[in-house]
Amino acid sequence: MNIPNPSTAPVPGEYAGDEVSAIVLDPGYWTTRAGFAGEDVPKSVCPSFYGQLDNDSGAQYLFGENAIHTPTGNLEIKNPWGADGIVEDWDTATKIWEYAITSRLTGAKAGDPAKNGLNDGTNANGDSMDVDIDALDNQEKPLEDSPLLVTEPGWNSAKAREKYIEIAMEEWGAPAFYLQKTGVLAAFASGKASGIIIDVGASHTSVTPVLDGMVLRKGVQKSPLAGNFVSNQTRLVFKQSQPEIPLTPHFMVKSKTPVDAGVPAQAMYKTFGVPPTDSFRRLEEERVLTEFKESVVEVWSGPGRLSNGNNEDISKAMPGRPFEMPDGWNQVFQGERFRPAEGLFDANAALQDADNPRPKDEHTIPRLVQQAVQHVDTDQRPLLLSNIVITGASTLLYKFNDRLSHEINQLYPSTKNRLVAPGTVVERKYAAWIGGSILASLGSFHQLWISRKEYEEHGPGIVEKRCR
Amino acid sequence: MAQSGVSVTPECINAFNELKLGKDIKYIIYKISDDWKEIVVEETSKDGDWNSFRDKLLNAKSKDRKGKEGIGGRYAVFDVSYELESGEGTRSKITFIAWCPDDAPQYPRMMYSSSKEAIKRALNGLAADIQANDADDIEWESILNRVSKGR
Repeated sequence: MNIPNPSTAPVPGEYAGDEVSAIVLDPGYWTTRAGFAGEDVPKSVCPSFYGQLDNDSGAQYLFGENAIHTPTGNLEIKNPWGADGIVEDWDTATKIWEYAITSRLTGAKAGDPAKNGLNDGTNANGDSMDVDIDALDNQEKPLEDSPLLVTEPGWNSAKAREKYIEIAMEEWGAPAFYLQKTGVLAAFASGKASGIIIDVGASHTSVTPVLDGMVLRKGVQKSPLAGNFVSNQTRLVFKQSQPEIPLTPHFMVKSKTPVDAGVPAQAMYKTFGVPPTDSFRRLEEERVLTEFKESVVEVWSGPGRLSNGNNEDISKAMPGRPFEMPDGWNQVFQGERFRPAEGLFDANAALQDADNPRPKDEHTIPRLVQQAVQHVDTDQRPLLLSNIVITGASTLLYKFNDRLSHEINQLYPSTKNRLVAPGTVVERKYAAWIGGSILASLGSFHQLWISRKEYEEHGPGIVEKRCR
Repeated sequence: MAQSGVSVTPECINAFNELKLGKDIKYIIYKISDDWKEIVVEETSKDGDWNSFRDKLLNAKSKDRKGKEGIGGRYAVFDVSYELESGEGTRSKITFIAWCPDDAPQYPRMMYSSSKEAIKRALNGLAADIQANDADDIEWESILNRVSKGR
């Protein structure tokens, strides 16, 4: 088979001749997904975290998997997304997205030879980007040949939406632009024009009612109980266990020797001239926690809550799962592995301490669904409840769907409730991107793009009119 | 306008009007053309047998963008007629069905769901709209149940 070069657009004609080499960008809190429209999976999945190095000459920014996971003295790890699920730091967000697109898809356009990274010896890794404003202006725009479709959360503000088109048109020079809500794309990707989309991501869980391809805006619910919350709960499980479970990220460990379960680790640790920052360590810990969530954490599958009756005893009797920390410490987790995710469904069950207050009841997933449904016309409720689409990487928690299905059936016993969860991991994680990829690749979609000319005529306000 | 930009050919509307006015045609099956650009009439039928209609939907095929054939979606309009329980005579409801099976590949699923608005808006006078995603949804009983609500 002819394997195409990953940095070239697919051959025209392969996809019914519709190829316009459009690019689809699906930015999230944890990763930013970008790829050519018409393809099955995003080619570029970059972390949305970035590194900032402050030196005398100003701040230097590092992007990409390789750069931000290398322990470098005083490297601060930051994220441009705000606590409300809307981008806060637009300047850096733009750079991260640009990195996601140019590093794997279009390639950086030829810049000033003195500043293109080939001739300056000070720059140790190729991932860093110079942020000289003049140089940026003089460069060719990175997206001059590619229309751009961007996804946005359902609760995005009008101001944020205009910002997206400004970035695409002004900074990247895109010839055409379109903005679509993640909820709609995820619904379409699973074959529904109407339904309720439950999206559990890293920073936010959202419940979006979609009717005939339109988001019912007042019904959109969101809460911070999502992947990061489960991570924090896992930290608390570690902290509150006796003795405390040490969480040592990979970069600290030089070498390790096998030890028995529950015995302190026998490992050699690395020493650093300038100790890595807390934010760096936290990001690295997060990677270990991600592994833990993927392989050990289980959602109590129901019926009922974990705290009901003797469910807790049953959960303790279920087979345990072993986990080994990067430094060799290991243990079989039994009842504890049901704890971290329980708070998503039952606020009372969430572990608490000074930094992690009790979550609000109305933020649990069943309550979000309930509120979303309440905002919908009574006639439409059965239709929506029979088309509940589950998406987002955090829904891959083991037994998540079983539990959710129990909770929803308890809330709405008289309707036919059906959960639709894409079977493959890729579809679950990238549902919105895949939806966008198909739309943007269509010949018939040409008429919907907002062209550069229209933007210049009407200004950024045009997104409100065209992308509803 | 549908979000996919797919258009509806005039034949679709003509066939629908014939069904609506003449009451001769019992059902129409629409599909998105093989080049995925417009919605066309695949078949009209004067045979009101639900099971043969249902089998046609279940066996529907679509070509994906690489030309490979797989399970596909369809749109359909069926003139559902039924007896009132009280014995007060028969009723008929022109029912729109968006058939998009869950086990179809991603591409046709996306196309049929995002283009539904286009055809639905083009057809005036639909009494019911059904989103069907698996074989259960197009059982006669479940259709009747949905359609006969509110008499």
